[in-house]
Amino acid sequence: MLDLRAASLGDAVAALARGELSSTELTRACLERAHRLNATLNCFVRIEDEAALAAAAAADGARAAGRPLGALHGVPIALKDMFYAPGQATGAGSRLRHGFVGGVEATVRARLRAAGAVNLGVLNMTEFALGPTGHNELHGACHNPWNPAHIAGGSSSGSAAAVAARIAFGALGSDTAGSIRGPSSVNGVVGLKPTYGRVSRAGAMRLSWSMDHVGPLARTAGDLARLLGVIAGADPADPTASARPVPDYGALLGAGVGGLRIGVPEQFFLEGLDPAVGAVFEAALAALERLGARRVAVRVPLAEHLTELGRTLMYSEATALHGHFLRHRAPEYSAQVRARAATGLAIPAAAYLEALQLRPVLLRRFVAEVFGACDVLATPTLAVTVPTIAATDVGGSPAMWRTIAGLVRCVAPFSYLGVPALSVPAGFTPGGLPAGLQLVGRPFAEARLLATAAAYQSVTDWHSRAPPVS
Amino acid sequence: MPDAPDEAALSPELVELLARIEGYPPLDAETIARIAVGATNAVRAVAAAATVELFDTEPSAYAAELERLADGG
Repeated sequence: MLDLRAASLGDAVAALARGELSSTELTRACLERAHRLNATLNCFVRIEDEAALAAAAAADGARAAGRPLGALHGVPIALKDMFYAPGQATGAGSRLRHGFVGGVEATVRARLRAAGAVNLGVLNMTEFALGPTGHNELHGACHNPWNPAHIAGGSSSGSAAAVAARIAFGALGSDTAGSIRGPSSVNGVVGLKPTYGRVSRAGAMRLSWSMDHVGPLARTAGDLARLLGVIAGADPADPTASARPVPDYGALLGAGVGGLRIGVPEQFFLEGLDPAVGAVFEAALAALERLGARRVAVRVPLAEHLTELGRTLMYSEATALHGHFLRHRAPEYSAQVRARAATGLAIPAAAYLEALQLRPVLLRRFVAEVFGACDVLATPTLAVTVPTIAATDVGGSPAMWRTIAGLVRCVAPFSYLGVPALSVPAGFTPGGLPAGLQLVGRPFAEARLLATAAAYQSVTDWHSRAPPVS
Repeated sequence: MPDAPDEAALSPELVELLARIEGYPPLDAETIARIAVGATNAVRAVAAAATVELFDTEPSAYAAELERLADGG
């Protein structure tokens, strides 16, 4: 039997192909682990035993019959509570949408199904994806597998925790201001926010149509490549999805980093960094240099404004989307999420439009100035060590705001720009919680980011260390 | 976000008035304070970043710009 604590998604695909185990056996093992660990982690809001075992049996049947098999054939994964499917409740982590059944199947969900993936169930998330900590009043907070007293991050809390805890081999999340990369960093997994438009959002809960990205989480860059290859590409149901061909990400993974220029920001991103996070970052850069990469200093134009420019879009669009709920069902929000969803009511339309207009201008400037000097930009994923749940649940205190700011400081700017950004496990801080390295590329440079992360993972073992939950 | 809004931030009264005009039910003081800080920071960033280039910039250019600036593109 495959060792769930050690195996990657790629290992699972290979073991299934070799006939060492069936998808049914593998799915049963993952479901058993899901039920056992969910009591501690609360990463699932619903575990779908019956549907998962039926999908696994169908996958085994297809294999036995010699039918064509997809890239994820028979492999257990799980999805954040925001990807619609006919007949299935998708609650977006909220009371307001609790029990809501979408009329369509999310494109990414359909693509995973077509590739043979087995869905274990629905993963916990921050209410309406509006927050970086993983708190959820309806379902309860998702807990960090490395230490359940600490946050699992947000908003894709369950996605990262389930992958880190070796329950699911991969997961889908969404990233509007860091919601894939933050949780990936705090749980010690790899997570990718693709370029805006690289992955369809059709059938996914919307928070901010200008800022929402859907992306994968897994334990290795190779696993991310496999998942991205399945979900990326044009989609008639999403006019913002790019028609650009999808590269064979797996084939490009071995590109290495010899001669690669790694840009390190000389301002903003490293200011006020927790020293333990800074030490992890420096060690990660040193590892890349030993592989042949060259470190260069870069300036990120207007870095100090990018997060708030993105929030201008996110708040305005979220308030527009939530207008009916905010006017008529406001008490059903948690207090923090209600305030975040309503912030757009005080942002003038002209400011929103200026932030939209600035986006192509600043993207041009960013690519010219940053990627004129380097090939991949590197930052820590988070500026702070992983906080406790208690420290981020103290309603509006200055300390909480500082912590929240540290959670999004390095990730949110790249959601506004829409460029691809990936978090890869880069070590642990003295408390034993993971810390990530963020790699950022020019538009549609996912293959380069994945290859850089793969090279880094070839000489480090952070990603293969399993959390103490068993 | 800063620890607390400064004197030039949106006032609670203004946020409350906007909410009322826009048809939202009454907001509690903490929600109003959060909205004031969030909106003030957002609008200030826009003001600080805006340039004359915007006079000739079409927001829908963004997607095309992503494609034009693509890796290898």
